[in-house]
Amino acid sequence: MPAPAAAYERIVYRNPSEHHYMKVHLEFQDHGIGLNAAQFKQLLISALKDLFGEVDAALPLDILTYEEKTLSAILRICSSGLVKLWSSLTLLGSYKGKKCAFRVIQVSPFLLALSGNSRELVLN
Amino acid sequence: MPAGKGRGEPNPGRTCVGKTMAMLCRLREVPRHLLVCEKSNFGHEKSRHRHLVETHYHNYRVSFLIPECGILAKELKDLVMDSGPYYFVKDLPLHELIAHEFINTFVKKGACYALTYNTNIDEDNTVALLPNGKLILSLDKDTYEETGLQGRPSQYSGRKTMKFSAEGSTMMSYFSNYRIQERQPKIALSTVTDLPCPVLRSGELRGEPEAACSAQELFEWLGAVFSNAELNNEPDNFISTYCCPQPSTVVARAYLCTITGFILPEKIRLLLEQLCRYFDEPKLAPWVTLSVQGFADSPVSWRENEHGFRKGGEHLYNFVVFSNRDYWLQLAVGANDDCPP
Repeated sequence: MPAPAAAYERIVYRNPSEHHYMKVHLEFQDHGIGLNAAQFKQLLISALKDLFGEVDAALPLDILTYEEKTLSAILRICSSGLVKLWSSLTLLGSYKGKKCAFRVIQVSPFLLALSGNSRELVLN
Repeated sequence: MPAGKGRGEPNPGRTCVGKTMAMLCRLREVPRHLLVCEKSNFGHEKSRHRHLVETHYHNYRVSFLIPECGILAKELKDLVMDSGPYYFVKDLPLHELIAHEFINTFVKKGACYALTYNTNIDEDNTVALLPNGKLILSLDKDTYEETGLQGRPSQYSGRKTMKFSAEGSTMMSYFSNYRIQERQPKIALSTVTDLPCPVLRSGELRGEPEAACSAQELFEWLGAVFSNAELNNEPDNFISTYCCPQPSTVVARAYLCTITGFILPEKIRLLLEQLCRYFDEPKLAPWVTLSVQGFADSPVSWRENEHGFRKGGEHLYNFVVFSNRDYWLQLAVGANDDCPP
């Protein structure tokens, strides 16, 4: 016997996301510097440690995607750690003596929102 | 209490601690965001699915995912290929949008949509034309004062390049004095193999422990799939610990389609209807999804609800269509948005 049709239900969640997602890109002043995923993660951890100390360096942080060629990544951070991670990325200025900077392309509490960026639509 | 201090005098030690605590709390704050999860059935007379699709006017990205599918059916593929065109008009004076001829040729016939291109809603003046004929102007203070129009302050704090969607060849000839280009949305089709998919029960939005995943978990998983994230990480993996929510099943293959451009609600409605018809014949897939993302810089989200960018500018929705015509609908907005209707 087929199940009855679902009754209407609506739930509104306020600030439901335990995590925030950041699409970032690491840019070096000089070209030809590569990092693998592990080195990239280590860089993020040390950025957090430099600014906020050992405890915040251990914030749950995942690199959901990483492209070594372009040094681009999608990061997942617990929501309570977003401001700390973002400010650490902002203030990171070098890696192994080479000048670099993080560009934050997109931030959202919804990962699905990062799969498209309307500001990247090029029509000219 | 230190000697010499009266009861009414502030204690600098406590003030300092208070300020430090306030700063630490602020470091942990994030902008407000809302996720509305609904469940219903397409057969319900009062189902709001059509209204919600039709009143989300400025759509940048439409994606669908069909588990247990390797080849797209012809009807669905035809709809995907027919999701355009839209028109890109450079240096269009705004007074053209309120010209009688324009209103009679396009606006009164309904279903004319327009949005300024390359204007950031949090920095620039932005204009949008809605299908009900309303022209929405989001202006900075100086421009607002110059226009002399009567408006209201934004809830959240030219000569323009516009993108349009309206009747085809008429649009090209109407704006022939300006640089107008016809554009087709970009379409990306792919299949993924061995995809872990959450197990869902259409009657259980919140999921059921060890039996079904929740709407929130499904929403995050969908983002991981379309971002090409790894879904099978071990809990002790250094790079990422993300994995598909449990319980899950592995499907041999799944079909993914993404359309990007300036996409009409009408086209999305047709896609949704065709995805419902997917289950007219028996299928292995227990459900399919359809996700829609709005333009981050549109001045409105649903209907005439003001939309702002804040940190992400997100306003998106996602349908999960079940084989028994039940559906889930998730509507997500960021800080500078009203609650979705």
